[in-house]
Amino acid sequence: MRIHVKYFASFRDMTGRREETMEVPDGVTVEGLREHVKGLYEKMADRDQVLVAVNGVFVPLETVVVEGDDVAFFPPVSGG
Amino acid sequence: MIRVQREDIDVDAVLEAVKTAGSGCVVGFLGTVRDTSEGRGVERMSVEVYEDMAVKQLSAIRDEALERFGVHRVAVVHRIGDLGVGDSIVYIAVSAGHRDEAFMACRYVIDELKERVPLWKKEYTSDGEVWVEGDRRE
Repeated sequence: MRIHVKYFASFRDMTGRREETMEVPDGVTVEGLREHVKGLYEKMADRDQVLVAVNGVFVPLETVVVEGDDVAFFPPVSGG
Repeated sequence: MIRVQREDIDVDAVLEAVKTAGSGCVVGFLGTVRDTSEGRGVERMSVEVYEDMAVKQLSAIRDEALERFGVHRVAVVHRIGDLGVGDSIVYIAVSAGHRDEAFMACRYVIDELKERVPLWKKEYTSDGEVWVEGDRRE
């Protein structure tokens, strides 16, 4: 299935892209997807804190991702 | 009022927007660009946002503040893009019947914003460009 992936802030620099469409196995969890992305991008692999949001919401790591989801990866936030 | 914008913040307009006839006060918090960060001189800053999510998160935080502290109205305006030293970054205004709940709610909103709202600062310092990252737990 296909999902949409976005990267923000330093992760955008590390991956060299803002977004991409990714083919992933059915039933993949947020945690599984995070490991997959860390495997694709060496610089992200070393990061302890890789936050993930699905469709603009923080969800538990065991949440299953479904076709067409927007999944965002980003470092701890620093607004304010 | 929840806004993420490039333009400067009209603090007076936001302040007026939260007033109600039953309010006895408005508490405001204005965050500004500081000229130092961890010992380095900061020349300017840029702020990046994941806008759809930021607006959702800020709306949720506003609703929590209204519910928890019984305040009247909460407004949050956060800037994105390029900012100079002394520029406004964020303005939060809270109206309430009395000051105690207004101060508490205002504090709650800025603290939660710093933990949960997808905004990131990049500082342009004497040592180069540095992404500022918080230390949020998962």
